[in-house]
Amino acid sequence: MNKTWQGYNSSLFYDELLTSSGNPRTAARAMINFLQRLPEEEINERRSAAELAIRDMGISFTVYTEGGNIDRNWPFDIIPRTITAKEWSKVSLGLQQRTRALNCFIDDIYNKQRILADQLMPADIVLESTNYKPQCRGVSPRYGAWAHICGSDLVRNSNGKFYVLEDNLRVPSGVSYMLENREITKRVLPELFENYSIQPVDDYPSKLYQTLASLSPRETRKPCIAVLTPGIYNSAYFEHAFLAQSMGAELVEGSDLHTGDDDCVYMRTVDGPVKVDVVYRRIDEDFIDPEAFRKDSMLGVPGIMRAWKAGNVAIANAPGSGVADDKVIYAYVPEMIRYYLKQEPLIDSVKTYLCMIEKDREYVLANLDKLVVKPANESGGYGIMVGPHASVQTRREFAALIENNPRNYIAQPTLSLSTAPTYIDHTVEPRHLDLRPFILQGKDTWVTPGGLTRVAMTKGSLVVNSSQGGGSKDTWIVEGN
Amino acid sequence: MTMLSRVAERLYWMARYLERAENTARLTNAYTHLIMDLPRDTQVGWEVLIQMLDAEPVYTKRYRVFNEQNVLRFLIADQENASSISNSVRAARENVRTTRDVLPEETWEHVNELFIYTQETAEKSIGRRHRYEFLEQIISRCQMVNGLLMTTLFREHSHRFIKLGHLLERADMSTRIIDVGAGAILGRAETNQAIDPLLWGSMLKSLSAMSAYRHKIGPLVEPNAVVNFIFKEARLPRTVYFCLTGILEELQPLSNNGDAIQIVESALQKLTRFDAENMTLPQLHQFIDQLQISLNQLDDAINTAWFLPMQS
Repeated sequence: MNKTWQGYNSSLFYDELLTSSGNPRTAARAMINFLQRLPEEEINERRSAAELAIRDMGISFTVYTEGGNIDRNWPFDIIPRTITAKEWSKVSLGLQQRTRALNCFIDDIYNKQRILADQLMPADIVLESTNYKPQCRGVSPRYGAWAHICGSDLVRNSNGKFYVLEDNLRVPSGVSYMLENREITKRVLPELFENYSIQPVDDYPSKLYQTLASLSPRETRKPCIAVLTPGIYNSAYFEHAFLAQSMGAELVEGSDLHTGDDDCVYMRTVDGPVKVDVVYRRIDEDFIDPEAFRKDSMLGVPGIMRAWKAGNVAIANAPGSGVADDKVIYAYVPEMIRYYLKQEPLIDSVKTYLCMIEKDREYVLANLDKLVVKPANESGGYGIMVGPHASVQTRREFAALIENNPRNYIAQPTLSLSTAPTYIDHTVEPRHLDLRPFILQGKDTWVTPGGLTRVAMTKGSLVVNSSQGGGSKDTWIVEGN
Repeated sequence: MTMLSRVAERLYWMARYLERAENTARLTNAYTHLIMDLPRDTQVGWEVLIQMLDAEPVYTKRYRVFNEQNVLRFLIADQENASSISNSVRAARENVRTTRDVLPEETWEHVNELFIYTQETAEKSIGRRHRYEFLEQIISRCQMVNGLLMTTLFREHSHRFIKLGHLLERADMSTRIIDVGAGAILGRAETNQAIDPLLWGSMLKSLSAMSAYRHKIGPLVEPNAVVNFIFKEARLPRTVYFCLTGILEELQPLSNNGDAIQIVESALQKLTRFDAENMTLPQLHQFIDQLQISLNQLDDAINTAWFLPMQS
């Protein structure tokens, strides 16, 4: 064994690759044996090769607050995270079930509102949410599908069980990193692919294409699909370009599109205006149409909501989908599954305390040192307090925030997130991670094999977001034993 | 498959900037070689390079003296010079960054590599010691991208607008090189039998046209023959005639192409009638001025027909 692995402790948390006694788990065995036998200088060479590949591919993550639009390379750890195909197929079914229920919920809320009439949840938490868009009332997208692309964050607790931590239904990003990570691993650890049967991830763009094409309002052989990006200064621009390219779709900015007098959406081309069938929007719905939402938006397409409501263009994700992407609504997802699908949830949610409910709030305020407190509407890991790691001062600030605006806060027990071996300088150390699979919902439902594994590169940290200094790993769904 | 106007515009400018970086590198390389061959008291100085690039107003705002150090810094690494090699590469990369979805996958990797190389190396390549290697690298990396596009790019609008950008920029550069080069050589008080062939030869070299000239015309480098060759030779990719016929070919299949085609056809007619033999230097200048005006009009026509937001 090379000395980089010496002293690795897998007994403090659930480790993805090793048992608590330090033996490799089945899916990871051949890979760990291989890495442990590599001479240290060769490991360094391969890590440098990965860095070079990342640089060449221009994988970069722009963070808004850094100013001046600096590209920061997205750290990549070469040790893959492995999951057996058997375990994954169960998780995958759970995710499909969940996404179907969420779509039933959104469709219900913008139409009959049965779930509110049946009093499964208080009407005001839905209708008074900033994510509820009255402009979308009465619209019925094809297949009842609103959230066509869903990125759900999974974590594994100390008991080894997967939990859904949150559902991202607005404009989830990260899928291109999942694809690029596999590409890099193939370049730097090619030997491993000889003896492993790893489910390929490469067909995501074609699955995405099929999903989007199935939404087209016109029966054409090749519908015109446009990926709508806010532009080069958006942190996920790289991904927008990548997806457009790999789907053979047009990458458009708001100014490339306009809505005609016939309530159809057109793009401006060198051959004149061309009708667009499906818009895969990567801009927030508040900016999508200054006629319907924020009037100051320069990114959107005036009139596109008109065209959508008239059924002349499909928008993915449908405007208004964010109503189910709310940490308060999250607490009710198990109920939705029972209510709409008449099934028991196949995958667990994390116990969630709603600060708007008096009993819950009292518990949260009394146990701030044990809980993770999150704002209901933020994404990207902003505004979160991890109780056990927070100072007395911070806890006091959050107590005040909660009391001032209880609707906007939820709390969950601090999970012992699983770890996986990660190269830190010249040794392998355990680091916490999560997993973001992507679920596609159009005519059919489909889940990525694996997803994007995000790693908190700082020792002990539980925050894996790329905007907060996280990194990523390749994720292998391994067949057989 | 059609193409977004915005994308067409960015591809066109990507090509122009790549071509500009490469041409500036060729020109600088050829000129550096030439200067080493010339006796120290020759009346040819570094300002000729600045004149060729039509950059005197920007240059004189930044520098007082036209010495080697200043001129080379200006051409290679100056952030204030929008057309420096460093800035041209940066602009080309920005345009690829926003059009990678329509280009072959490796284009971005190569252009990004070129950008990183330029960022890391430009500043220390101003001096003679590292200059040659840097300029050769710029040329060969630009060529690599061109080769990649030529051998893998789907022949549709993307290819068309890239080719238009390359050819227009190249025609523009070749015209300037003759204009200033001929002016500098022929405009001197007395001709110098020892030096003149070197000067004309360096002009051919900066256009990679030396061996083609020898092959077609012969070993003796003779002024009028050089000018005619660079303007009118139909089979050499860096001549003005070759560029204009290439542009015409790309304009034909586009819709809304009337204005642009008329400008190119009229310029080609003038070029066909042109002969350096019976021209004075001022006449040559005037001819080149007209050609430059045509190229600017062509750029305007392309912009109006395909890039500008249509009125809806």
